[in-house]
Amino acid sequence: MKVKKTIKQIIRHLVLAALALFWLIPIIWLFVTALGAEKGINTNHFFPEKWSLDNFAQLFFRPDTVANFPAWFKNSFIIGCACCVISSVFVLMVAYAFSCMRFKGRKALMNFSIIIGMFPGVLSMLAIYFVMKLLGLNDSLIGLIVVYSAGSGLGYLICKGFFDTIPVSLREAAKIEGASELTTFVRIVIPLSKPMIVYTVINSFMAPWMDFVMARIMINSKEPANWTVSIGLYNILQRTLIGDYFAVFCAGGLIVAVPLSILFVIMQKFYVEGITGGAVKG
Amino acid sequence: MKKFFKGIGQYFANFGTAVAKGDLWTRLSLVIMGMGYFGRKQIVKGILMTLIEIGFFMFTFQFSLTYLAKLGTLGTVQREEVFDPLTLTKTVNDYDNSLLILLCSIIGILFIVAFILLYISNMKTVYRLQQMKEEGKHINTFREDCRQMINNKFYITLLTLPSLGVIIINVIPILFMVCVAFTNYDAAHMPPSNLFTWVGLKNWGTLFSFNRNSGFGYAFIRILGWTLVWAAFATFTTYIGGILLAKFINNNNTKCKKLWRSLFVVTIAIPQFVTLLLVSKMFGTYGIVNGFCSRIGLTSFLKDIGLLSGSLNYIPFLSKPGWAHVMVILINIWIGVPYQMLIATGILMNIPNDQLESARIDGATNFQIFWKITMPYMLFVTGPSLITSFIGNINNFNVIFLLTGDYVTTNPMYAMANASETDLLITWLFKITTNSTTKQYYMASVIGIVVFVICAGLTLVTFSRMTKGDREEVYQ
Repeated sequence: MKVKKTIKQIIRHLVLAALALFWLIPIIWLFVTALGAEKGINTNHFFPEKWSLDNFAQLFFRPDTVANFPAWFKNSFIIGCACCVISSVFVLMVAYAFSCMRFKGRKALMNFSIIIGMFPGVLSMLAIYFVMKLLGLNDSLIGLIVVYSAGSGLGYLICKGFFDTIPVSLREAAKIEGASELTTFVRIVIPLSKPMIVYTVINSFMAPWMDFVMARIMINSKEPANWTVSIGLYNILQRTLIGDYFAVFCAGGLIVAVPLSILFVIMQKFYVEGITGGAVKG
Repeated sequence: MKKFFKGIGQYFANFGTAVAKGDLWTRLSLVIMGMGYFGRKQIVKGILMTLIEIGFFMFTFQFSLTYLAKLGTLGTVQREEVFDPLTLTKTVNDYDNSLLILLCSIIGILFIVAFILLYISNMKTVYRLQQMKEEGKHINTFREDCRQMINNKFYITLLTLPSLGVIIINVIPILFMVCVAFTNYDAAHMPPSNLFTWVGLKNWGTLFSFNRNSGFGYAFIRILGWTLVWAAFATFTTYIGGILLAKFINNNNTKCKKLWRSLFVVTIAIPQFVTLLLVSKMFGTYGIVNGFCSRIGLTSFLKDIGLLSGSLNYIPFLSKPGWAHVMVILINIWIGVPYQMLIATGILMNIPNDQLESARIDGATNFQIFWKITMPYMLFVTGPSLITSFIGNINNFNVIFLLTGDYVTTNPMYAMANASETDLLITWLFKITTNSTTKQYYMASVIGIVVFVICAGLTLVTFSRMTKGDREEVYQ
């Protein structure tokens, strides 16, 4: 009996290890290619024949006419941080208004927002481009920040679900003590929803950081210094460039993952709580 | 529905009463919106309202009316450049820009609608002020009004900026694109050098035309089918996979749960566009997987059993229909399962343990527990998000576009419509607008509206079931 259990245990862990390996193969490949001395795609060996850190050096210290990674990274980082702040604030504000306040037209507005959200983003991107051009904001960081964060209020649903679970008696008690809605929002509801805020912050940082289509439509500049990471990395995988830049792409991909990984590690605990906290409600 | 019309009727009736029963100040606000406030000594508010009114009329008459007048034709004067050989300069005539006309007209109309709503609600407010005055009630000072904005009316403060953003980024573009579906806006009618105009329902006819000269009907039916198949597979494989993986890791017999979980989460941390491009290169014609397969003899084995045509010496993972369809779904499992696993982990931890215990005492097998207790619970909690992710997959641009970016169709019917076999509706419309020389924006808009109708229909059906017997306040 005991032997059988041990064998089962071993098999279980072997299966898990196999699965994990399967999931990690592309990541490992990304890693080793970035650390290899070869510049193009390596089709014959999984591991490179020679190791070097030259790809990272090229990425950071030798920006050329095609790959200007420091500038891309800077642009993406600025956009990411700005959107992170604006979107999070917007989402929390809308969620509070819809969850904790009762006013005329609330249901109608909520339904309206759901319907608006159904419209395919790729299609409206084109029109957004025209609107931004009209405002003179195309081809600029500010334009991208506006594009990413202005509509973020629509993503309030999960956050609202979380606010719905905060006992109404807490808010009522605050009101009896003479607190205004603003005070209730800032002093009672916000401190109680840390997991949700973490979730919102991660999401609003990740969306622009990982986005590719919008940036590609919005930024027409031929000057690589104006690009974001995603456009830049996509560009160096073009058929004519891939032979010289594939390893650089891998190195860039790894670097891009760094801020996200840090966010994840710090906030992983909250993250799981945050998702379910809002989801339990449905 | 009845309630809705009744509400609208009430809305205008109130306005009527306000006009009929209002005193001099109230009626004066019909012309100058601030007058009603001046009469009740709300000077600041009155000035603000009057300023808004003046601003609106200046905006409309100076700016929008010039465009609105041309909305019916979308402009008639084509751009012409005249080169003057004497001064060596080019002079451009006073041409019409259809794009600007359409866009600015939409903005102008939105302003007018907003103003009418404001105007009506203003009359009602002024009338209420009059009533309050007659009843001798306290009328708020401006300071008290401001205080209200962080109290009873805090929602106005909260919602103003986000709504403004949504209007600029979502509403105006959507209205614009819906209008484009009824025009002939394409590369041959590209402002500023050319004009485009209204064509009615012609584009919708093109989408459903099945003759040999236009691939649109042909491609549309097939791409729609593939989109739905893809969305169904992509949603359910990752959902089930995520739950199974989460259960597997969370099992009491598993050691180092955190470590295993982190190993899978690593794949989320790397942005999708990186991993997807990477994987697409791995499975490329001369990619590492093909090299590996031909070395271990898999390529020739597949040739022998007839799965691969003889002329190929590589496996067309992402470059032939059939192969590409299966690969895309498989790769999506790779992308989506860790994320679902993370979500499922959180929910599985919340399953009331006593239920599982009692089932076990009653002699249920593990399998029974999974199907009769775990799954129903999971479905209850994540049911709504299943629909959301189904819709997300219909609109899953990244996976398809980045994985099958190198895909070239050999089917002339698809090629005629700028489509390929692996396209979803959403990538198809993107290709129509960017990759082709014809840039048929109008067809892209038509497809976009179709996608919208599908998604909205699905949402309406499910959300109306979900919100039945309003569960919103259950936990409050």
